[in-house]
Amino acid sequence: MALRRVKNYINGEWVESKTKEYGDIWCPATGDKIGEVPFSTAEDIDKAVQAAKKAYWEWRCTPPLTRARYFFKLKDLFENAFEDIARTLVTEEGKTLDESRGEVRRMIENVEHATGVTTLMTGYNFEDIAQGIDCTAERQPLGVFGVIAPFNFPAMVPWWFMPYAVVAGNTYVVKPSEQVPMTQTRIFEVIHECGFPEGVINMVHGAKDAVNGLLYHPDIKGISFVGQSSTARYVYKACGETGKRVQSLGGAKNFVLVMPDAEIDRNMPSMITSFYGCAGERCLSGSVLVPVGDVYKELRDKFVAAAKALKVGNGLQEGIQMGPVVSKKHKEKVLGYIEKGIKEGAKLILDGRDIKVDGHPNGYYIGPTIFDEVHPDMTIAKEEIFGPVVSIVHRKNLDEGIKLIESSEYGNAACLYTTNGKTAREFKYRVVASMMGINLGIAAPMSFFPFGGAKGSFFGDIKGHGREVFQFFTDTKVVIQRWT
Amino acid sequence: MMGLTTFGAIMGFAAEMAGKTEEVYKTFVSKAGTQAVREVLQGLAEEEGKNHALMVKARRENVTEMILEPVTGLQQEDYEIALKMPEVMEDAGLLKAALMLEERGKKFFQDASSKVPLPEVGRIFRKAARKKEENLARLQGLALSQTLGNNS
Repeated sequence: MALRRVKNYINGEWVESKTKEYGDIWCPATGDKIGEVPFSTAEDIDKAVQAAKKAYWEWRCTPPLTRARYFFKLKDLFENAFEDIARTLVTEEGKTLDESRGEVRRMIENVEHATGVTTLMTGYNFEDIAQGIDCTAERQPLGVFGVIAPFNFPAMVPWWFMPYAVVAGNTYVVKPSEQVPMTQTRIFEVIHECGFPEGVINMVHGAKDAVNGLLYHPDIKGISFVGQSSTARYVYKACGETGKRVQSLGGAKNFVLVMPDAEIDRNMPSMITSFYGCAGERCLSGSVLVPVGDVYKELRDKFVAAAKALKVGNGLQEGIQMGPVVSKKHKEKVLGYIEKGIKEGAKLILDGRDIKVDGHPNGYYIGPTIFDEVHPDMTIAKEEIFGPVVSIVHRKNLDEGIKLIESSEYGNAACLYTTNGKTAREFKYRVVASMMGINLGIAAPMSFFPFGGAKGSFFGDIKGHGREVFQFFTDTKVVIQRWT
Repeated sequence: MMGLTTFGAIMGFAAEMAGKTEEVYKTFVSKAGTQAVREVLQGLAEEEGKNHALMVKARRENVTEMILEPVTGLQQEDYEIALKMPEVMEDAGLLKAALMLEERGKKFFQDASSKVPLPEVGRIFRKAARKKEENLARLQGLALSQTLGNNS
């Protein structure tokens, strides 16, 4: 099979990068090389930004409903390409078909939500703020925005931001993760088919140079970023230095508390999905399982049994419940955490290191892994592992459980299983995390609610999608008038 | 045993079942001896074609990433039928086979409707099961009238 070399999409055309440096694209399920991605230069970024800047004024003057109609059309085209996009995603990222379809669905839901621009972007007004003087607050687009996307949700994440920015009248540059550039490339083929005016939506592949090219470009008004916290902090600082708007979503270490009154059997599928969905490579994944009180032994034993039953394999095969991790390098990183857990004295009660998947000896598979008797000070209880590794930390009561969560530097998500409303209220009231699940293991806000964390999981003010995102992509201009 | 353990596996099986059943009914149509039986089988073939499209659409539009939880208690083998397809088949044989297929479909949709944690898909499955029940009544009526016709 001929290897595919992906191209940039600038000013409505597919163009080669100016770079001489290319990275490899791998299929995590098989370990085969499937393509190459250009490490685009600052010059490539500039070309995309200039195209977006040139397209801006005409697009900004286009009525919002006309802009929304492009997205109505795009939604239909996405429905037609749905399965193809999902399969491309599985091939380069490794997640299961169901997970990929779920991701593409969420991408489309953002398109659907963005088409509500005519109500979501409106301003407000007041007559007679002083004698004969009226005041209006109008939302206006700002110019060129950009997104720097992570590897774990290659279809969805750019769409937490881009449709809202563009439907609001801005123009845009997308930089997909260099590990998974094919999904967004397939998506841009659909954008091309949709016929947006040239320069309104652009895509540049690449790594560090492309990221810095966006962060330091003087014509970019704002950046949306999703990735690990160290980079999120870097992006936040760079945007501060260059005077850009920024919403920078970082990593996570999510705790899942299970109370003694929780319905264990009923909720076990949900808990398993929380920890092992997307092979643990999601910022909403459960990472630390916290049995509270005397539920400990029952929960541990049932959780281990359910984890053992998971079907691990090539995500393209229908019925597989967990795929590989994204890359060889990432697999080594996760295995390193398992080694560290053993070294620091945690008890490895389910070892996924030696998993064999028939027909795929070179795939980047790690089976479900569970550590028991984990101390809160151990590395595996504190750092983001981003893999199918669970740490069990037993706490005596709710208060101890909440204090454990408080000790984390992250505050992305937290979940609680209980049948007691008072306990649930106390949990959601006290815990500092921005996405909370009660009797639910993946607290993923839909497109019409904001997505983003707290503490070291988020740097900025306005989160991804939801109603508020229109504030990020617009300036509120106040006009005060006297005609009397 | 092949477990239908994910949302995608259930929907994929439902779509595949509809596609295969459509093909079987198309073959039956070509073998039917009377106009009445041919028309009913033709209708069932068309219905399965629509069912296939409906299942693919339902899978695409209802997949909810937040609750992609493992499913237990559904085995593919419980809904598989190995139909023997002789060269020549009497109408009575065709109707008997159609009854088996519709019964199988009804059972699958009834069982699966309680396993999928998505109200819209549950509704689609329950509606499909009801339709199968109607088809069964129609086929039984036709089979009875065929028997009476042959006896008179």
